[in-house]
Amino acid sequence: MTTEAPVIRTEALVKAFGPVRALDGLDLDVRPGEVHGFLGPNGAGKSTTIRVLLGLMRADGGSAEVFGQDPWRDAAAVHGRLAYVPGDVALWPGLTGGQCLDLFAATHGGVDEGRRAELIDRFDLDPTKRARDYSKGNRQKVALVAALATAAELLVLDEPTSGLDPLMEQAFQEVVHERRGEGVTVLLSSHILGEVEALADRVSIIRKGRRVQTGTLADLRRHTLTSVHVVTQEPPAGLAEAPGVTGYVAEQLDGHVDTRFTIEPGRLDDAVGRLHAARIHTLTVQPPSLDALFLRSYGEDAAEPAESAAGADPATARKPVDARRSVR
Amino acid sequence: MSALGGLGTMTRVQLRTRWRGLVIWVLALVGSLAGTAAAVASLYDTPAKIRTYADAVAGGALYAINGRVEGIDSLGGIIQDEFGFMAAFLLPLLGIALIAGSTRREEEAGRLELLLSGTPGRRSPVTAALLTAAGTILVVTIASTAVLVAVSVPLSAAVLYAASLGALAVVFAGLSALLAQVTLHARGVYIGGFAAVLAAYVLRGAGDAAGSWVSWLSPLGWQEKVAPTAGQRWWVLLVPLLVGGGLAVAAVHLAGRRDLGSALLSPGAGPDRASARLRGPVGFAAWVHRQSLLGWLAGNLVLAVVMGALAKQVLDAITGNPAMAQAVGAGGANPVDGYLAMVQVYIALVAVGYVVQSTGILRREEAEGRLEARLAGTLSRSRWLSAHVAVILVGLVVNVAVTSLAFGVAAASSMGDSGQLGRLVAAGLAYLPAELVFAGLGLALFALVPRAFGAAWAGVAAVAFIAFLGPGLKLAGWVLDLAPTTHVGNPPLGAVEPRSLVVLTAVALLLGAVAFAGFRCRAVPAR
Repeated sequence: MTTEAPVIRTEALVKAFGPVRALDGLDLDVRPGEVHGFLGPNGAGKSTTIRVLLGLMRADGGSAEVFGQDPWRDAAAVHGRLAYVPGDVALWPGLTGGQCLDLFAATHGGVDEGRRAELIDRFDLDPTKRARDYSKGNRQKVALVAALATAAELLVLDEPTSGLDPLMEQAFQEVVHERRGEGVTVLLSSHILGEVEALADRVSIIRKGRRVQTGTLADLRRHTLTSVHVVTQEPPAGLAEAPGVTGYVAEQLDGHVDTRFTIEPGRLDDAVGRLHAARIHTLTVQPPSLDALFLRSYGEDAAEPAESAAGADPATARKPVDARRSVR
Repeated sequence: MSALGGLGTMTRVQLRTRWRGLVIWVLALVGSLAGTAAAVASLYDTPAKIRTYADAVAGGALYAINGRVEGIDSLGGIIQDEFGFMAAFLLPLLGIALIAGSTRREEEAGRLELLLSGTPGRRSPVTAALLTAAGTILVVTIASTAVLVAVSVPLSAAVLYAASLGALAVVFAGLSALLAQVTLHARGVYIGGFAAVLAAYVLRGAGDAAGSWVSWLSPLGWQEKVAPTAGQRWWVLLVPLLVGGGLAVAAVHLAGRRDLGSALLSPGAGPDRASARLRGPVGFAAWVHRQSLLGWLAGNLVLAVVMGALAKQVLDAITGNPAMAQAVGAGGANPVDGYLAMVQVYIALVAVGYVVQSTGILRREEAEGRLEARLAGTLSRSRWLSAHVAVILVGLVVNVAVTSLAFGVAAASSMGDSGQLGRLVAAGLAYLPAELVFAGLGLALFALVPRAFGAAWAGVAAVAFIAFLGPGLKLAGWVLDLAPTTHVGNPPLGAVEPRSLVVLTAVALLLGAVAFAGFRCRAVPAR
């Protein structure tokens, strides 16, 4: 699969708006048939990247290819094979939802009528209502149905579920999952980590117009810490000093020992052995979530001026992981 | 918490957020009345001239347009007649705009929800809007009285006329307050209000033309029947005040009983599929532009028919009063053609307004995020732009051709000279290249510097200024030449200059080509 030509490929993409470099050497590759999570804080350049990929903006440097074609030069040809859902859907106030759907359909490669009807049903959309009477969530649904009903090989979704209720979010995830099963490639820019975690095969995290992390979720997790909360009969011997263990806190509680720590995924086996020897009462092991990954990537962003200091003090760098654990 | 609680707070909020609009309304209204009054006072400075006016405007067409003014043989009567057409639309519009902007629009935008979650009661927003409107109308009334007294209209007539204007605005303020309770969008209030103004105008026009009681069915009829300069029927003022007050009370009552964000008239279901025509780029462009196309066509047609139908009366008035001839731009050796040529410039300016607004629609589509969605499909930029340009240009040609034809027919039948028809249509069409220059300007701004699109409207204002006031102010030749309309040759008074038309067309084409090239290589949305 990795040998196949990527559906989307950018290299050292640069886009400047006056003095602001919205994209500052962005690399991105999306492989055929995968759902690619595209994450980043507000203003990281996600929407700008998507507009370049759609040929709505021209990059100032680097290269971008969609289906091996230049999206700026061959915009209409590239558009025939993809469908796009913007984050902020603008419709024509005087048209009904159904008319908007047909209008979008008219400028796409092809629309499956059966699927259009099915999606209207699944997303519980009233196509006879005027766009000016729709709520934000309903406008979003129009754009989603329009894109998902096409026979597009690539779906470009820019924060597609903002304004949707959890039920519709669920429907959205199901439909994307189905389309992936049919071999459709998806670029999913999102702020909803659960959504990315549920759908994405690989993710790219960007900040300040640059990619800071990329890979499968498993890859990325390998570099983050698993958090453990355990109650044992006796204090676990030598665990605090064991390699790979950080943030070790143990306290005596009602005749038991309550211990919390984080650990590198590869060292888990050794730690559980020691816990077992101390006679486990309860044990909770949380694999690193995307939140942790995400917060860590952003955390580095926030701590950038003191990056060397943060590197010297592992506790500081891992702080977000602990913060998250205490919330749950 | 009473339903009227926080009335003071609501009123202060509305005054603070809308005072600029209120000031502009007051200045615009009082300014137009002052302009009319001053012009009339300077033109009709002797009893003999006043008599010629009364003779000239006696007739069915003018009764229908300006109203049948009692006491037209006085200065106040002439002002009332001259201001009649403007007053018939401006004052109702004042009432509609004041109310729609601070009731349903705020509710639609969700700002009212925020305010009502605080202490103000359910009835206080609409009540506050009505109070603010009433205060504004009172200011307009007092200022209008002052303006009229300043040009030596007797005090009682001045007070009565100004009060009749204010009462007219009160009726439409009350109506709009009620409409704001029963329609879901501010748009509904405007549409309902405009429809009522139009109905009132038609009823009053028909009634006055026939001299029948039908005028009494219209708020505009009530305004007229007050008869400030003859008869002085003070009691008639009670009719609009009672009707407006009744509507306002009903609106406040409804506001206390309905849910926030609800409306009695909810919009019906629309079609769930788009027609084949709407799916095509040209059909869709025509749909996007339909309101602008029809609105400007209707406006230009009304202008052309009214000015054409008045041709005879204007000529009669000119013969009796040379100062009037000067005022309508017909002071030369050939007053007939002078008048017709001036109307042609008006018609061309309306057409210019249409093309600039239409190219502005492209900018609006982009600014509101719809262009991005439109171009994310297989529709290429140049096809999208071509479809819109085609619709705009066909709309322009239809507008100019139909309007010129209507002007020709109306003027020819008014003057009983069928020979006018052909030359007036030709004169109207001769302005097309000048109008195309504005289409090119609008497109080039949209394509190259979309944020500066307002410059196109500044251009329209400059050309209107040059066309209307340029000759009177004796501006330098090169200033006059800045306006594309100057180069047409002022037909039918002057001869059309074919070479200028070629140059104007070339300039328009050049601007259009620049627009197409520029649009192809800029970011969408523009930053």
